Amino acid sequence: MAVWVRARQGEDALPVRLERRRLYILPTRGGVAFGALVFAMLIAGLNYANSLALFLTFLLAAFALVAMQLCHRNLLGLTVHSLAAPAVFAQRPASVMVSLENPQALPRPQLGAALDTLTESRIDLTAHERRTLVLALPPLARGLYRIGRLRLAGTHPFGLFRAWTWLHHPLELIVYPAPAGSLPMPGASGRQPGPHPRGGAGVDEWLGLRPFRDGDSPRQVDWKAYAREAPLLVKEYQPAGSDLRLFDFSQLPMKDTEARLAQLARWIVDAEAQGERYGLMLPGEQIAPDRGPEHRHRCLARLAQFGGTPVPWPR
Amino acid sequence: MAAVKSRSASGALPLPPLAWACAAFGGGVLLHLERVPPWASLACAALIAWRLRAAQRGLWLPGALIRTLLALAMAVVVLARFHTLNGLTAGTTLLLLMAALKLLETRTTRDELVLIGAGFCLLLAACLDREELARTPLYALEAWLCCAALAAVATPTLGVRAALGLAGRTLALAAPLALLLFLFFPRLPGSFWAIPRGDTALTGLSDTMSPGKIAQLVADYEPAFRVQFDGPRPSGEALYWRGPVLHEFDGETWRRAEGSYKLRARVANTGAEVRYRVALEPTRRHYWFALDLPAQSPSPRVALTYDYQLIASEPVTEPVSYEALSYPSTRTLDPLSTAGRREDTHLPAGTNPRTRQLAKELYARAGGDAAYVSAVLGYLREGGFAYSLEPEPLGHDSIDELLFRTRTGFCGHYASAYATLMRAAGIPAHVVTGYLGGEWNPIGGFLIVRQSDAHAWAEVWLEGRGWVRVDPTAVIAPERLRRGILDLLPGAFSASERLLHGSAWLSGLLQRWEAVNAWWSDHVVRFDYGSQLDLLSRLGVRSPDARHLGWAFTAALLLWLAFMAWQAGRLPRPRPPDMLARAYLLLCRRLARIAPPRAPYQGPLEYAETVAAHRPDLRAPVAALCERYAQLRYGPAGASRAQAAAFARAVRRLHLPRRAPPRAA
Repeated sequence: MAVWVRARQGEDALPVRLERRRLYILPTRGGVAFGALVFAMLIAGLNYANSLALFLTFLLAAFALVAMQLCHRNLLGLTVHSLAAPAVFAQRPASVMVSLENPQALPRPQLGAALDTLTESRIDLTAHERRTLVLALPPLARGLYRIGRLRLAGTHPFGLFRAWTWLHHPLELIVYPAPAGSLPMPGASGRQPGPHPRGGAGVDEWLGLRPFRDGDSPRQVDWKAYAREAPLLVKEYQPAGSDLRLFDFSQLPMKDTEARLAQLARWIVDAEAQGERYGLMLPGEQIAPDRGPEHRHRCLARLAQFGGTPVPWPR
Repeated sequence: MAAVKSRSASGALPLPPLAWACAAFGGGVLLHLERVPPWASLACAALIAWRLRAAQRGLWLPGALIRTLLALAMAVVVLARFHTLNGLTAGTTLLLLMAALKLLETRTTRDELVLIGAGFCLLLAACLDREELARTPLYALEAWLCCAALAAVATPTLGVRAALGLAGRTLALAAPLALLLFLFFPRLPGSFWAIPRGDTALTGLSDTMSPGKIAQLVADYEPAFRVQFDGPRPSGEALYWRGPVLHEFDGETWRRAEGSYKLRARVANTGAEVRYRVALEPTRRHYWFALDLPAQSPSPRVALTYDYQLIASEPVTEPVSYEALSYPSTRTLDPLSTAGRREDTHLPAGTNPRTRQLAKELYARAGGDAAYVSAVLGYLREGGFAYSLEPEPLGHDSIDELLFRTRTGFCGHYASAYATLMRAAGIPAHVVTGYLGGEWNPIGGFLIVRQSDAHAWAEVWLEGRGWVRVDPTAVIAPERLRRGILDLLPGAFSASERLLHGSAWLSGLLQRWEAVNAWWSDHVVRFDYGSQLDLLSRLGVRSPDARHLGWAFTAALLLWLAFMAWQAGRLPRPRPPDMLARAYLLLCRRLARIAPPRAPYQGPLEYAETVAAHRPDLRAPVAALCERYAQLRYGPAGASRAQAAAFARAVRRLHLPRRAPPRAA
């Protein structure tokens, strides 16, 4: 079924509006039981030629049909604006953020999102509301997860039917190794393999130019370059006396890869928290020293993927 | 957080799903309060209370072993009480108890759904049990409650009012389709399986009669059947509705006889024939009723016996209606068979000796059969006999005691005594039970015959004339023929029923209600395959059959689906503005007269600026009002009712001169 749906719908380009052709609906187990009950009622009503029992049967059958329509309408027209899976550390609860908008004046309660067969997370959308549904995932092992398919479903109003849609949007969930280990951070000794320090001691080191980020001081902006119609760049200096640390995978004393990765993650988190510059050396690759959230993410993501291939999800 | 706040503000806190399931099930229990034994209802109430308290306070709930034992015990009790688990009452009681036990182990959503399903089943059982119009609102309420419970279980955050509203709207949308299905879904003639519901006879005449038996019936004011005449209505004295005919008498009790081998004597019609339609209420007995004397059987499933009873092959468990033809005055053409004569002159030896003696004397004095028939009537008329619903109980020689000791009795007593006196003189006679008269309903144009119209009379064989109907009650209480039992014996009914009939206005109301009931019974309860074909032919289909019904059914379904698709495309209307918004809109309308109208993108503060730019003299009051509105509408506290009202007053009081006053120098 999933393969057929994937072939039928193709990849989704966000934002996605939930149209009729991508909504599916089937009775839930409760709905099947309800159908069986109505059928039994029909047999009893016909057998006893009892008008009231037959009317009740027909009323409940029509009720189920209306419920089906309402269940379908609960998802119809909904807009999915974005999907995001923030990176998390291993053994911590992960989540997928689904930004949903209800473009109509129709309240849409009990919208659920789920991966595979995992538990649904639900939100209620009021009229014209735009909110983010946080799909809680269980704690995961380190790695890169490729989420190929997300299910958006709802059984509102009566739980007799489940309407759902599949969202096929490439989504990567990076799970960093959980920081652990108590080895001291390597100090200046790690300096040699790094880039050459420029400038003398006592003066801020000139490091280079990097793109402007919110919060950068205007004084550091390279206005001359900007006047030459270059993008907004910031001159970066290394404060005098601050450490430059290089974390080397191969120099760690432990044998176990996971333990080494955990120690590296620990150091990265700590170094970032202390505002230090740090680089990462892994077998076959290295990341130049830098700092800031992007750098931290780059380093941790590299650790997350170390020695493994992306895990497709659902498998 | 916001959702919680808004819910508590509207005062509709969501009930827990368990409470909803209990309500749906409890509603089903209430529908059966009259049918199931009281201890079963009480057990259900106790179990519901226990479970709800347990959910609230964390009381102890029994484990699987105790629950199993309880279930077994309850099944045994039901079996002991009803001797079956198959009948409607027994089955309902068992369902009730098992669902109540299920309540004790209700933990998941699935269990709650099972309980709601039990609520639906109980509702179905109630529909099967009783189809009166007066009960349909209860059924509708229970259906609504169960559907709302479904919604509340599926969406636990739903408030009570929201759940009821959702279920109500859905049912309202479903109702048109339900009606179309009801009209056009092909009904099946006949049934799939036999009837396990005839637990006990509901009411009505039985196939035995002891003196005094009919007296119990007379206190029952329920309708037995309704009659619509094709021609003019026969007079009240001719309205003898023939029921069970009793031949065997043991001195105390009259019984029906086995007579399937006997030939029915032919009769000649000596008067006008009467055609009419009878709508019979269920009695769970085999008798159908017709005006004395039915000319033919109204249905292939009903036999017209040798003594002109209508006996159905199945007991009447559903309301039935039939066309009947009767000859009110007849002459028997064939002679009485020897077996028939022997049967109808038999008296048990040694019983009622004084009665036999009396018969001998009276017959000797009369000298002939016809004269003796009149002489006995005269004896009863002159003998100081009284008519009473509560006569003294009679002993073994019941007729002797009646004639010579108590001298009070009821139609059953006198019919019995009269037939005995005839037999004692060798004249074939038997007792016929049935109904006499009925109440004419001018609104519905039908005659309603109640259980309280039950009656018994005698038939005697006179050579040359055949069977002749003799009603001894008529000579003792002649009013009985013209008036209802109520006028005759006011003590037979409760005070409220007397009141109902004493007041013309109330009895008019009652007749109206009965006319509505009759319509309900004819057009809804008795709606069957034939009625469906009738409907089709009235819709213009010539010689309709099941195929046409199928087409109509499909068309109706498509029509409704189109309606639903249209309905789905519509969006709910925006909520009407509240008091605060109305006041603000009024302010904007008033300001638009003296300044540019508010642009759709402008908020209150911005608009105040626009107005001030146009009319600097009004800057202060307008700005104050606009700021007040913004504060009330968007402020953290929100606007109370009183604040909104005060704001509305302030808007109305705002003075807006057409022209700016000339600038003071």
